[in-house]
Amino acid sequence: MHEMALMGEIVRLIEQDATKRNIDAVTKVELIVGALSNALPEALEMAFDAYKLQKDNRLTEDAQLIIHFERAKAFCPICEEEYEPQSRLVQCPSCMLPSGQIIAGETFRVLSYEGSSTS
Amino acid sequence: MKVTLEVDVLTNNNRAAEFNRRLFEETKTLVINLMSSPGAGKTTILEKTIEALSKDFRIGVIEGDLATEKDAERIRALGAQAVQINTHGGCHLDARMIAAVLPQFDLSEIDLLFIENVGNLVCPSGYDLGQQHKVAVLSVPEGNDKIPKYPTMFMRTELVLLNKIDLLPYLDFDVEQAKDDLKGINPQSSLIPLSAKTNEGMDQWLNWIREGIARCKNQ
Repeated sequence: MHEMALMGEIVRLIEQDATKRNIDAVTKVELIVGALSNALPEALEMAFDAYKLQKDNRLTEDAQLIIHFERAKAFCPICEEEYEPQSRLVQCPSCMLPSGQIIAGETFRVLSYEGSSTS
Repeated sequence: MKVTLEVDVLTNNNRAAEFNRRLFEETKTLVINLMSSPGAGKTTILEKTIEALSKDFRIGVIEGDLATEKDAERIRALGAQAVQINTHGGCHLDARMIAAVLPQFDLSEIDLLFIENVGNLVCPSGYDLGQQHKVAVLSVPEGNDKIPKYPTMFMRTELVLLNKIDLLPYLDFDVEQAKDDLKGINPQSSLIPLSAKTNEGMDQWLNWIREGIARCKNQ
């Protein structure tokens, strides 16, 4: 369950930033998760729910997780076309050559969070 | 209040990886992150590699496993320094775990450092440890479907060691198909078929390492 460890990274990044801003209640987190990032959105949601119940972070119990999914995309410089790669990631479906370059799908970022100061 | 962060989830890992990388550059240590599914033969390949190269090079190994010191003990039996990291359920090594054990090595006295990752074809691939080379081991009993089924591993490794080729006569594994599948995922990656048991193909792997060490020393 490596999404648990990944959510730990996300929570830590938010904790680091929220400390500086004196934000003590985090109510919303927005992520962008690529199809090739090795993270499953469903498992991230489960991990987020587990972290919400822990008392050692600033996530509120009803905090929301918004995941923007990024599909994998590749570009074939021979055909000058974009395509959605399947199992053979860089094989262009038009020319069948392994010429494609992955241009999207590897992203895994924390976009933003929302929170407030209660004190 | 909305705060825009726009940071990579693995930012903290990547910082630790940069720290490790600088250290490896300063000490001119070649570092190879070896990854595979459990049972593909990483430790056996390391044993044979250490036996063959320990006359010429000083070798260290970081062993990653969920539990036990078993792999580190196998390496120590050959006279190489080995440090075991137990992840206690964690499915991969991260750069901070590596940074934490590096002080146990005198890196300026080590030419070649292997990091044997936790046996897993998924999670370890995403974590930069600061290594110069990522190498995957795939063994023929695992079947031809593994390269297309685990693209995020094979798109990030530059070399695949196809192990246990002594078993090819008993299995349906197609080596040419594996090369072809690899090209479809990562055209820059090469594949060396070998058997750590019979030593067939091991020379090509050992030469690849020797060249890597020479490049590393000349930088």
